[in-house]
Amino acid sequence: MAKGYRYFEAIEKHAGKLGILTAIMVSIGGLAEITPLFVEAHAITAVEGVKPYDPLRLAGKDIYVREGCYTCHTQMIRALRAETQRYGHYSISSESVYDRPHQWGSKRTGPDLARVGGKYSDEWQRLHLMDPRAVVKASNMPGYPWLAGEKIDAGDIVARMRALRRLGDPYTDEDLAGAPAALEGKTSLDALVAYLQGLGLPPEAQAAP
Amino acid sequence: MSTFWSLWVMFLVVLNGSITLFLFMWAQKVEIPVLEDGTTGHVWAHGVLRESVRRLPGWWTVASAAFFIWMCGYLLMFPGFGGFQGLRGWSSHQELALDVARNDANIADLQAQFASLTPAQLAANPEAQQIGERLFIDNCAACHQRDARGNPRLGAPNLVDADWIWGGDDASIATSILEGRQGVMPALGSIGAGKVTDVANYVLSLSGAPHDGARAAAGAAEFVVCSACHGANGEGNPMLGAPRLADSTWTWGKGDLAMIEKTVTDGAHGVMPAWKARLTESDTRAIIAWLRSQSQERLARL
Repeated sequence: MAKGYRYFEAIEKHAGKLGILTAIMVSIGGLAEITPLFVEAHAITAVEGVKPYDPLRLAGKDIYVREGCYTCHTQMIRALRAETQRYGHYSISSESVYDRPHQWGSKRTGPDLARVGGKYSDEWQRLHLMDPRAVVKASNMPGYPWLAGEKIDAGDIVARMRALRRLGDPYTDEDLAGAPAALEGKTSLDALVAYLQGLGLPPEAQAAP
Repeated sequence: MSTFWSLWVMFLVVLNGSITLFLFMWAQKVEIPVLEDGTTGHVWAHGVLRESVRRLPGWWTVASAAFFIWMCGYLLMFPGFGGFQGLRGWSSHQELALDVARNDANIADLQAQFASLTPAQLAANPEAQQIGERLFIDNCAACHQRDARGNPRLGAPNLVDADWIWGGDDASIATSILEGRQGVMPALGSIGAGKVTDVANYVLSLSGAPHDGARAAAGAAEFVVCSACHGANGEGNPMLGAPRLADSTWTWGKGDLAMIEKTVTDGAHGVMPAWKARLTESDTRAIIAWLRSQSQERLARL
């Protein structure tokens, strides 16, 4: 079996060859686990009634991403009893087809927000974002008081809607034309509250912002 | 998962398994040539360290072989091998359904027992108390605070005093929880800042709080507008959720003149969300029971 040893020697004594073969073996796992999901993700369609974000909520979603809310809050209720009992029905992939990128998150410092819409009043959300301790004494969430003084740039949001439409989100010309009026005088705080208040609600239950 | 991707995953699983299994079987039989002194001739640190050859320990070989068997067993029983769902037909959603059913069965007796009791009777039941407190902390405490004393900045009332804005009987509280409430006070700033101060002083006078007597007397006439909801003597109206003004309990703020002026000027809009999508009737009763026990404890302490 001295012959077998020569194959090992041929690989182990050549770092480049060893590296390439190692990479091939490791990537088999990725090819099996990542590629099908990556390709099939495009085949997932919106659950009935899930519509692309209206202009104000779209602005709010982008603020949610910008402020890094996902670093402490998930939007992913797992199929575990403790979670469904506390947060409601487990999350399904077709609910987040219009999230680019998805906001599932991976760590909870605060609670899951996938179905927080309507749980508290708008005023609570407002006060809580400005100064979390005003409503939850033991909260360690930072305040975001600057959001109240930030005006939403309608032109910017329309451009984003146009870009999303190019990616396949079904925004109509009327949606785009109506955006500036819907965003008139709105602040980042209004947008973020509107976004949060719509999270996880069936569309018919979402009050007009 | 489409057939193509299912086959794709199956192919890669078999490929990966075959390569590693082949290496595992074959490498054990490979003999490594050694020099006369029993070393391989590989040296480190200028010959201080020399590489020798020893057989792999038996436990390592057995454990590795066991992993291959475990992998086959796992892929046979559970989802993982492409689109194959496994012989056990296991799914996380089914597991959840079973878990929920098990839990429901566990608490079924307790629930049946609770169903026959009123919240007042439940208030004496320690298990109902635990359930009620847990539900309160998770759902209600964000506005009403953990101790249920309320938050005057949100107009979230104290729930452990004797004062109930929308009625304090079990049925009214259950309606408040399940259906939600909207307490709307219109903005009356248009009467002018001077008159707002007058009427605010009059409101303070209703509960005998320190106030400016002359301004309060002037504000009495203005209060006619307020009395439509709050009653002629500020006794409040639980049908409208108009708080009683003739007591020392305050919904918005803590009874200071500035806050009353602000409320009269800008109005107030208190929102209690509807909880029927999140809480069951039985949850609601447990919460009411916990609140009853808390207010009893509090009254006993006073």
